[in-house]
Amino acid sequence: MLKVVSKEVLGARLPKNIRALCVATHSQKFRTSEDKPSYHSSSNSAQYYKIPQDIRNQLFAHGGIPKSYNIQTKSFAETCLMVREPSLDIINCIKSIDYSKPVNRFVLYGKKGSGKSLALAHVVHYGLETGHLILHVPWVGQWMRYCKEYSNSELKPGNVDINLDAANWLVHFKTQNAHVLSNADLVIGQDYVWSKREKTQKGAHILELIEHGISRVKYASSCVLGLCMEIKELSKKGKCKTMVAIDGYNGFFYPKTRVYTEKKEMVPPSKVTVTEGFLEVTKFDWNNAVCVLTVDEIASAKEDQLSHMPKYLLGKEGFEHLDPFIPVAVNEYTDKEFTSCMEYYRERKWVQPAPGQDEELSFLSGSNPYKLMQICAGL
Amino acid sequence: MALVKTLANLKSVQILTNKLAALSVVQQNGMSMYPPYYINPIFKKDAQVELFENGEAQKLAHIPTKAALIDQTCSIYYDDDIRLFRNYIMRSGRKSLARELLDKAFEKVKRSQLEKFHKAKTEEDKNKIVLDPREVFHMAVDNCKPVLFLTPIKRGGVKYQVPVPITEKKSQFLSMKWLIEAATDKERTVHFPEKLAYELIDASNNTGRVVKRKQDLHRQCEANRAYAHYRWS
Amino acid sequence: MSVITRILDKNVVKQLPKRAAAYYSNKPNIEEDIGEFRVLYLKTSKAQAFTKKKYQKPEVLPPRSNEMPVDQNWGNVWPGPRTFHPATVPLPLRQGYVSKGSPPDKYANAELMKIPNFLHLTPPVIERQCAALKKFCTPWPKALSNDELCEKHFPFEVISSNYCHSSPSIRDPMARIVTIKFKLNDLKFDEKSRDKYLRLVGDRYNSETGYVTIVTDRCPTQKQNYDYAMYLVTALYHESWNVEAWEELKTEADMEKYIWENNESKKSVEKLFGKNSEDIAESKQYANAVINFMNEGESDYTLANYGDSVRILLGLPAKTNVL
Repeated sequence: MLKVVSKEVLGARLPKNIRALCVATHSQKFRTSEDKPSYHSSSNSAQYYKIPQDIRNQLFAHGGIPKSYNIQTKSFAETCLMVREPSLDIINCIKSIDYSKPVNRFVLYGKKGSGKSLALAHVVHYGLETGHLILHVPWVGQWMRYCKEYSNSELKPGNVDINLDAANWLVHFKTQNAHVLSNADLVIGQDYVWSKREKTQKGAHILELIEHGISRVKYASSCVLGLCMEIKELSKKGKCKTMVAIDGYNGFFYPKTRVYTEKKEMVPPSKVTVTEGFLEVTKFDWNNAVCVLTVDEIASAKEDQLSHMPKYLLGKEGFEHLDPFIPVAVNEYTDKEFTSCMEYYRERKWVQPAPGQDEELSFLSGSNPYKLMQICAGL
Repeated sequence: MALVKTLANLKSVQILTNKLAALSVVQQNGMSMYPPYYINPIFKKDAQVELFENGEAQKLAHIPTKAALIDQTCSIYYDDDIRLFRNYIMRSGRKSLARELLDKAFEKVKRSQLEKFHKAKTEEDKNKIVLDPREVFHMAVDNCKPVLFLTPIKRGGVKYQVPVPITEKKSQFLSMKWLIEAATDKERTVHFPEKLAYELIDASNNTGRVVKRKQDLHRQCEANRAYAHYRWS
Repeated sequence: MSVITRILDKNVVKQLPKRAAAYYSNKPNIEEDIGEFRVLYLKTSKAQAFTKKKYQKPEVLPPRSNEMPVDQNWGNVWPGPRTFHPATVPLPLRQGYVSKGSPPDKYANAELMKIPNFLHLTPPVIERQCAALKKFCTPWPKALSNDELCEKHFPFEVISSNYCHSSPSIRDPMARIVTIKFKLNDLKFDEKSRDKYLRLVGDRYNSETGYVTIVTDRCPTQKQNYDYAMYLVTALYHESWNVEAWEELKTEADMEKYIWENNESKKSVEKLFGKNSEDIAESKQYANAVINFMNEGESDYTLANYGDSVRILLGLPAKTNVL
């Protein structure tokens, strides 16, 4: 890893007005060769680690890494995440969890563009590495505000289904958990009757339920609901340990959605079928699992984006549902993290080195990771 | 009385010397709100430091100076040519939009160059690819600058297209204008920054529509070289 | 003395040039022209030009304040309220603002004349007036020797204005307004009645000073308004102790502050651990953190405290500080 990188730096075409040259040895401080999150510690703080391509495809093929960062990874020809304090904190806590005790809920919160989704991605990678069954919702806003298709629910009258999105999610779930789902022990505990002719038997493997949802898109939402319940039961029995990772959890409690009934009336999240499943899964009445959630301003409409604090975003209902939870703050870059980010950009040839660059950019972006990315794009 | 006169003379002499000093730095602009003896502002940090070092600052401090424009920043990324290009892109005074478009174009240039860089196998190939979008931009503009251009000159009732040498400024202007024209000439689904990025990359490699246009102009000039003496008739 | 000089000045000194002009003028010889008609002289000579009347500025005497003895009786000089008069006031006053220069002096200073002055109420004058009024006054009661005792024995402050009119009617509608002020802590409450009282009284209570202010003006006379204000004070107090049937329906949403015991938070914790909250270790500090968080509002600090308390409650490691 080190050899390859130094070759790139030394062999590259040197820009014209270079006065502060990044020495090869110095540039290695921002990278770590440790690509297993369970071995990351505070000594790796502010360092980038590379996610191997196959793991990346398994975990994030259908979402999980924000769109803008995705485009960056294509340009950089690698997927690297920065090891930062919030995700280290959560991983540290997860390592010391007693799985016989009720589920712990962690909530990542922070200003727009401070790195919550990527912190969650880091934790999900850790979950994969330690053999958790990952229940990952890449972005709740995708369902509530940009759903592809909505329809009245057949199996739950009064509710509204978002079947296409649910089916996509089932595919995502299947790819992410391919390694765990091969375990023959994971069987469903009750019958699911879809219609007069279709039925999923009790005792069937959980994969059958998932396949049914993917192939029969009409029942996809109910499949998702059933899946959540089954996973809960399985974890209680000790068949698997689960990690629930949801980005934009406050989307389940924000009163305005863009999901409508067939009469074009707005549907609150509580009436969307899939919501119930994920609310069940974030309760504390089961064990052998851990919940890592994110609350994001962007999941609500622009006029209601007044604060990034969890209680405001979750509302009374959401807060009572999650209480007691552990809030984890995701802040702007510290000086060390900022330097590390700039070094990474320089190494990836994204930004040409120039004297006084770091200082100017830290002022312009306010050390906000997203703003820095936007500004560096045009340089 | 004599003292007053000499004092008055001294003052007028001072103003005169100031104006003369200003004239050496002045930029003529017929429509400017400023009187002609006003000098342009020096807003870059290193230029200012230089002035203080060689003592020019002392002289310039007493000459009336124009106010710096909002575009003229002391940022390390300030570039006069890029600023000029941005102004040419701007329409209806929407400078923020022009800035966004140019930023996106540079981003696109970077991304496509990086793609090529990562695809290139040998070190030689990698070295040939320019990754700095600003450098690509400068190369593109340089490559599209015409050396001569045709002016219509009327001789004996007929307008002849006469090849004539071009000033540096006009040449640069034509180059930038052609690049923008080429970028706006596109399908509706393609966005301006994307098209501009491709044009810039092509021009920096000495290929593409704009370079072709310059070469066409040069060919025309070559063809019309017989009329060259019409310049002086 | 000054009078004499003034008269002399006016009648002799000022007239001198005129008379001199008249005496030295180039008047024509009357003996020559006797018997003949008067001759009109069109040509004006220098002497005749003299006779043109020049405008004489009225002489201003030195100000009276120059000759005021220091130990004079000021009460006699300025016996009553009067517009400021610069020559009479022996003080070097300056009032006003000029962008360039010092504040203008007292002569021809409209600002000094506009503002009310209390030169008629200097301390020796007031002393004299008080001495004159003393025989109509009773001595200050010894039992009210300081402010606290005054407030203790006289908790109410009644404020009203009376107006003097020189118009067809002696009545002024503003005179009917009565304001009553008293401290909330002077009344006895328990928690519920105090809350009810504050809700009834609303804006009239100033939480910073602790005073309740009741302003009444709905009746035509002052006495009626005073009676009404007194009635209000009594009625509010007794109403706040009165418990209505519908007050039992007060829900959690109506509560003015967060009480952990009544809320979901306590239920969640009890369900989580499966025991009563008293039996759960660390539940008290968690409850305090939640109460703080809810009452003081959400901020980085209260949220961090809440986070720390939850970690302790659930037995998770504390937050690591990575530099």
